[in-house]
Amino acid sequence: MDLQTLIHKLSEFWASKGCLIEQPYDVEMGAGTMHPATFLRVLGPEPWASGYVQPSRRPADGRYGANPFRLGKYFQYQVIVKPSPEDIQDQFVQSLAAIGIEPAEHDLRFEEDNWESPTLGAWGVGWQVLLDGMEITQFTYFQQAGGIDLAPVTAEITYGLERLAMFLGNRKSIFEIEWAPGILYGEVRHQDEYEASKYNFETADAQLHQMLFERFEAEAKRCLEADLVLPAFEFTLKCSHAFNVLDARGAVSATDRVGVIKRVRDLACRCAEGYVASRERLGFPLLAKPEAPDHV
Amino acid sequence: MSEFLLEILAEEIPAGVLPAAREELLRKVSEAFAEARLGGELAVHSTSRRLVLVGEGIADHQPDVTSEVTGPSAAAAYDAEGAPTRAAQGFAKSHGVTVDDLRVAQTPKGPYVVATKTVPGRPAVEVIAELIPPIVSKMTFPRMMRWGDGKPLWIRPVHSVLALFDGLVIPFSIFGVETSRTTFGHRTLAPARIVVVGVEDYFAKLRAAFVEPDAAARRASLVAQAGRLAAEAGGEPAADEALLDTQAHLVESPFMVRGRFDEAYLALPEEVLVTSMREHQKVLPVRTDGTLAPHFIAVADQAADPKGLIVRGNEWVLNARFADARFFFEDDTKLRLEERLARLGSLGFQEKLGDYLRKTGRIQELAERLAARLGLSAKAPLVVEAARLSKTDLVTDMVREFPDLQGIVGGLYAKREGAPEEVWQALYDQYRPASADDSVPRGDVGCIVALADRLDTLTGLFGLGLVPTGSKDPYALRRAALGVVKILLDRKWRLDLPVACSDALLLHGSLPRSRDEVVPELSAFLLERVRFLLERRGFRPDTIQSVLTTDCYDVADAADRVEAVEAARSEEDFVRVSVAFKRIQNILVQAGETGGELDPALMSEEAERALAGDYLQAKGMLDELILKRDYRIALSIMASLGPILDRFFTEVMVLTDDPAVRGNRVALLRSMRDQFFRVARFSEIQA
Repeated sequence: MDLQTLIHKLSEFWASKGCLIEQPYDVEMGAGTMHPATFLRVLGPEPWASGYVQPSRRPADGRYGANPFRLGKYFQYQVIVKPSPEDIQDQFVQSLAAIGIEPAEHDLRFEEDNWESPTLGAWGVGWQVLLDGMEITQFTYFQQAGGIDLAPVTAEITYGLERLAMFLGNRKSIFEIEWAPGILYGEVRHQDEYEASKYNFETADAQLHQMLFERFEAEAKRCLEADLVLPAFEFTLKCSHAFNVLDARGAVSATDRVGVIKRVRDLACRCAEGYVASRERLGFPLLAKPEAPDHV
Repeated sequence: MSEFLLEILAEEIPAGVLPAAREELLRKVSEAFAEARLGGELAVHSTSRRLVLVGEGIADHQPDVTSEVTGPSAAAAYDAEGAPTRAAQGFAKSHGVTVDDLRVAQTPKGPYVVATKTVPGRPAVEVIAELIPPIVSKMTFPRMMRWGDGKPLWIRPVHSVLALFDGLVIPFSIFGVETSRTTFGHRTLAPARIVVVGVEDYFAKLRAAFVEPDAAARRASLVAQAGRLAAEAGGEPAADEALLDTQAHLVESPFMVRGRFDEAYLALPEEVLVTSMREHQKVLPVRTDGTLAPHFIAVADQAADPKGLIVRGNEWVLNARFADARFFFEDDTKLRLEERLARLGSLGFQEKLGDYLRKTGRIQELAERLAARLGLSAKAPLVVEAARLSKTDLVTDMVREFPDLQGIVGGLYAKREGAPEEVWQALYDQYRPASADDSVPRGDVGCIVALADRLDTLTGLFGLGLVPTGSKDPYALRRAALGVVKILLDRKWRLDLPVACSDALLLHGSLPRSRDEVVPELSAFLLERVRFLLERRGFRPDTIQSVLTTDCYDVADAADRVEAVEAARSEEDFVRVSVAFKRIQNILVQAGETGGELDPALMSEEAERALAGDYLQAKGMLDELILKRDYRIALSIMASLGPILDRFFTEVMVLTDDPAVRGNRVALLRSMRDQFFRVARFSEIQA
């Protein structure tokens, strides 16, 4: 199964389970969790269910396209369902069948793996899902986001698309994954990986990114004061990315690191509080729909 | 007598918490059954998704309980005519009896009204239905979670609760899940609903549904399969009891497969391969005649692998991991460790204690100073080189990927770079001992660097006031202290702890707490580890106490003395001396005066003169022996004073009325005590 079919099948499956299929967010971010569809929607009492692909940038993980297993940017398929349904694990197992994995023929295990994001003030409890020893998915019950305890609780399922595609296609390198019939992942993305690594590790102007961080932070605060939660969150994401570039560039000292992470977390926490307050002012509109979360 | 069955089916419970969860459930329910007078024998079982209790010999019904309750005094309970008062009526009512059932009994306080109260036993099913839910819902786990509407709080979401008493459902609910007689089989192999009538039926049906509820049986099966699979490949599985325990807790259906990896990876350091297999993939390495073979044995929650999919998947993952490791290795070794030093400047050690570059500087200086203090200045150049490189592997990809291999990776890389043996071994061993049972670094250089690193950490954190309390020890300072003490003990190195702590503390520059606060507290903290280690070596606690209470801050010296005292304790005369010293301590406390110089002219009794004579002779020898730290002979000389001491106490009254005589006797005893307590406080030793 090629990469685009895999994405298509996952969307089809989760749509059939009542998930809204959303699109990637158009701001750089380190993980699908930072998409407002997850980070903000897990907050408050309103139900939510959605699935989407999110390109995830991790500048420090780049390897110039030379390591067959590492990327500075990759794709996650993210599914979130709130409140977590009782059969969410079963639904996940069914999703494997939908992408051509017959669970009864494999070794499928859920091994403890708790998730934590200091920059988002978020943590959850769950597992890494292992298929024949291979980690294919991260399965998390969100406990806290933006420093706010969550109830109802959201189940988050994050498929690592490249790993899954490598495994399904029995490829020895990410770059040999078939993206679509006749065209490989490497042909689509290798240059991108190389140049991004070259930029993040060697070329990036640290002063510029330092300045961007400060300006984005200030702008996020201004937005928060104007009760503009989503723009504030976008600038928080931009801060986070500027920090990641500085980190890859080796321009963050250890003491700075703790302080900078805290600055991003403070913004994320204020966005989270602002979001809950704004939804409350609107009367938590999605709560009113009795048929939710079936096609929210 | 009846049987009992409880199964809590949840989403996958972490393997690491299962042992404690099993123990807690078994203990609490057993205690509750005993307290409820239900008796019976309980046993616990578990799988990755289930906690199971089975019981037999349980009473169907609680026995009735009769008890006597004392009420108001007879005078208050009956009026002049002998009619019951309101007090008597109220008392009777509150205990569910009539006033006619009350009787008067004599108590030490006089005549009082007594009621005989019978609490009828209840059916076991009713009692169990009440006692199980709070026990289960209040179980404690290291990291709890909420799910669904966010109300329940447990280790993982609970899906079903099966509870039977002699085949009948015990009605209760946990987190809103009602009990039933149904459960489910293996998640992928037999997910259908199973109806259960009793304990035997439960085990039979679960086993048919690919679930082995008995963890010990699963483990035994894994061991047998691993042995067979390894033998087929001409080797044997690595003996790893802890990993096998974990593997048994990870599955419901125990199954093992053997896979191969590319032989070319055997060129990578074995430590990397083994860590990758054990820690990351949780698979068992295979050895042929002690040498790592290109095979591994993986656990699977399965019953078979007819298409070889599980083998293929595990092989793919392990080969990918090794390829990754090789990539790290090749990439890392492009830079020399030396060239990584500067990067330590952006790796934080502790917020207020700076980065690892600064820590490296401190370790280097301290290590050099310690070498001098230990009389090993000749090793100083090697010590400095090892200390300087000691943390550089923290900024390699290999250690970022395999944090457990910190130190080891540095050692391997330094060896490749041609560093002297003592240097690369020092890097390799620097985090040893990892526990009380682990060995210390191989050479002097490694031990000195390891000491310096730990003393730097300990003084820094104590200086910030971040001292471990109770079970909270986030910086693992107890382990660091244990490392310091174990190295000094094993190497028999003479180092005064307060001096070494001061050396280390000074290098931190200014810290919130002063040296006068930190050094005594940290020295005492280290002495606690000395006590712990010596107790583990089998020395009696009071022997250790007798030495550690002498303000002995030299670990190796303390150990010598403890060993000598322990050996001396088998001698009869020594026992006499220690008994006599309890008495001497008491007398000196009672006398409460300093006493002056010994004056032979004031000695009136024969026994007194004899003791003083023998003691003064011994004193000179003891001075010399203690200086030479020849504690065995010193103690034997002290013991030889036993009979004369006994005689002294039999014949001589120390606290006489004559102040001069009395002062002289006190002075004699005080001098003896001060001299003897230079080795150990004998008064601490239990006869």
